[in-house]
Parts: sequence; structure tokens; C-alpha cells
Amino acid sequence: MKISKKVVLIGHFGVGKSSLIRRFVENTFSDDYKVTIGVHIFKKKVAITEEDKDISLVIWDLEGNDDIRDTRTSYLLGTHAYIYVFDVSRPATYMTIKDDIDYLKQHCNKTLIKIVGNKEDLLTKEQIKQLNKEIEPLVDFYTSAKTGNEVDELFSKLAMELI
Amino acid sequence: MNQQEKLDILKNILLTDERQYAEEISKKIKILEETINKQNQLSQKVDPIIDHKLEEFIKEMPKTLGPTITEALKSEIENSKDAVVEALFPIIGKMIKRYVQHEMQLLSEKINSQVSNTFSFKSLKRKFKAKKTGVSEGELVIQEQIKPVIEQLMVINKGSGLIISEYTRTKNIDEDMVAGMLTAIKSFAEDAFDKKEIELQYIEYEGYHVHLQNFSSYYIAVVISGSYNVIFKDELEDKLLNFAQNVINKEDLDDTSKLSEKLKLYFENENI
Ligand SMILES: Nc1nc2c(ncn2[C@@H]2O[C@H](COP(=O)(O)OP(=O)(O)OP(=O)(O)O)[C@@H](O)[C@H]2O)c(=O)[nH]1
Ligand SMILES: [Mg+2]
Repeated sequence: MKISKKVVLIGHFGVGKSSLIRRFVENTFSDDYKVTIGVHIFKKKVAITEEDKDISLVIWDLEGNDDIRDTRTSYLLGTHAYIYVFDVSRPATYMTIKDDIDYLKQHCNKTLIKIVGNKEDLLTKEQIKQLNKEIEPLVDFYTSAKTGNEVDELFSKLAMELI
Repeated sequence: MNQQEKLDILKNILLTDERQYAEEISKKIKILEETINKQNQLSQKVDPIIDHKLEEFIKEMPKTLGPTITEALKSEIENSKDAVVEALFPIIGKMIKRYVQHEMQLLSEKINSQVSNTFSFKSLKRKFKAKKTGVSEGELVIQEQIKPVIEQLMVINKGSGLIISEYTRTKNIDEDMVAGMLTAIKSFAEDAFDKKEIELQYIEYEGYHVHLQNFSSYYIAVVISGSYNVIFKDELEDKLLNFAQNVINKEDLDDTSKLSEKLKLYFENENI
């Protein structure tokens, strides 16, 4: 039987949601910033070798906004996993993280949520360590869509947990 | 005691016994008779009362039991709302459609009769002639050329936009992405109107017509090439309503492969 799961990327403007997806699906990166308007949909099949299964991730790339409560709730219906993305180089994108995660949990408390700090290439290891101490709840991955660091790991882990 | 005496005694014993026995039996018969008669008498008296009570009970039942039954039904429906909605959706849809159709038919008959009243016999003759000269036949040929064809049919979860099941004539697009996109467009359009009752029913995309038909937890998207007209739309709507009502059941919505098989069987040879 075919397994498909809906994954939604959510977070402030320009944190790198679309870039993360593009890195994962097409393995490319661009420095230009093209704002996402509305929603884009991507798909990638992930092979889970341990279980000898395929899983299709249907990935919804939502437009960023300043307040997560402005997101169209109909886009969130039936979501199997959220990836909440913030930009490690812009504190404004993680100032409200606790409230935002609470909001998502309120919406669907059984849904998987991964918290991701993107653009880790812009900070030193030491700075990331420091940042990690400050942010609550716990960050699951520090990624870079630019270098590709931890991007596959993020989506593979997600796929594993979704199966 | 001689022989005769002995015999007498014996006879006496036997006969008394017999008499007693006979008496006892006749007593029992009498009791039985009485009971039967009594019962008859009783039933003559009681039966009408019972009949009357029964009638009354039947009459009163809706009043006395009605609320309880309604309450029970209500809570039953409340508890399995999804199942009820799923079952009723196509039926109600059909009823409304039938009603509107009927009204439309009445209207068109009315108009037709008016038109034929005002048209002269001459103009009718001209019409027939036009038909014979092949003008409308040409039209028919064109119609034939661009007749609508179902290219793809998808049963899509309303919320997640994930495909529950699909049927394609030609495999050339990624149905998962199309289904997701359709769902996003649908929710965008429906949100934009800010009214829950409005549902997007039709999208045109690069020469394809996408017919969207809503059911309670899912919707069906049909990609059509060729000309998409009212008659076709109407038949398609009926066909989908029928399919939803008679072919899809609750388990199918969980078991993708079974539903795909059904879709294929139902729509494979379909030109409508
Ligand atoms: N250095 C660096 N730049 C990145 C990284 N990821 C994304 N960017 C840049 O950040 C900008 C925004 O990236 P997008 O992927 O468009 O961000 P987004 O979250 O999709 O933005 P919206 O769609 O507007 O919400 C682009 O100029 C990217 O090139 C990263 O890992 N490292
Ligand atoms: Mg984007």
C-alpha cells in the first residue's frame, strides 16, 4: 500500500523554508530571495531501508508571516508533521517560538513537530551552542539549506517517525 | 368358602374399584369442562378490554415513547455524526439536484411551448430544411471531435489534500502534487469568500477542465479534456453522486487499493 504524509513548513518571512525544501527535493540552492505567496506543494519519495518501505512526503511550503496566527487554518488541516523553521541569524524569527509552538500544539496536539534553526552556516559552532541554551523548547536540528548540512537528516528522521 | 363365594368377593373388589375409578375420572372431566367454560367466559369478557387497551396503546405510543425514541436516535446520530453525514451527503445532494432539475424542466417546457406558439409553421419548415442541408450535422461532427473525455479522477481528502484514490487514463502528471495544489486553491478560494457554504466547483487549467464535487470528508476532482458543457456536467454530477452513494463505503476511504479498483471499474468505459 502507498503511504503519503502531509508535511507543512511554517515560520517567519525569509527564514529559508523554501530553500530547505529545494535543497531536499532538488538538491539546489540559490541566494536570490523569492517570496512565497500562498502555498507551494512539493513531493519527494523517501525510502526507509530498515523497514523496506517507501513513503511519499507531500510537502506544503507556506508563505511566511510575522504572526503564525495569520496562517490560513485550512492549510493546516490533516497535517501529519510540522517543521517549524527559524533563522539563527535573526532573533526576531525566534522571539515568539514558545507561543508559536503552543499554538500549533493547540491546533493538533498529536501532530509531530520538528523545530529547526536554519542558516547555521552564518554562525560559529560556539554561537550555536550559546543560542541553543537560550531557546526553549528544544531545537531538533540546526540546518543550512546553503551547505546542505543536516537537511537530509531532518527529512529522513521525520519520514522514519511518520511511518 | 366355596368357589362361588370366592368369585363374588373378587368381583366386588374389582367392581368397587372400577366404580371409584370411573367416578374420579368423571370428576376430573367436569373440572376440565368448567375450566374451559370459564376461560371462554373470561375471554369473552376480557378480550374486548385487551383489544381496546392495545388500540389505545398504539394510539398513545408516539406520544409516550416518541420523545424517548427521538432522544435515543438523537444521541445515536450525535455519536456517529461522521457516518451519518457520509451516508446522507450524496442522498441529499441528489434530492436537491432532482428538485432543481425538475423546476428547470418545467421552466424550459413553458418557454418551449411559448416559442412554438409564436413560431409559424413556415419557420419550423425552415428549421427542418436547415437540418437536412447538413448545417447542424457539421455542428454535430465538431461536437463529436471535441467531446469531453475524463482524463483523470481523484478522490481527495478534504483536509490534508492527500489522495485517497485515483484513476488515470494517461499517466503524465504527479497526482499527489496536483491533489495538494487543488486542495490549497480550493481552501484559498473558499476562505476568500469567508463563508462556510461556498465551495469551489470548477477550475480551468491549460485547456483542461477540473470539475470538483464535494462530499463530507472528501471531494472528487475530475480532469476533463474536450468540451465541458452543462449537459456533460449534469451527467457527471449524477454519476459521481451515484458512485458516492452506492459504491463508496466507509472502509474504502481507508483502503486505497480497493477503492482504486472500484473507480477503475466504474469509470473505465466512461464517455458519459
Ligand atoms: N546563508 C544562508 N542563506 C539562506 C539559507 N537558507 C535560505 N537562505 C536565504 O534566505 C533567503 C530566504 O529564503 P527562502 O527559502 O525564500 O525563505 P522562506 O522562508 O521560504 O521565505 P518566505 O517564503 O517569504 O516565507 C534567500 O535569499 C535564501 O537564499 C541558509 O541556510 N543559509
Ligand atoms: Mg518561501
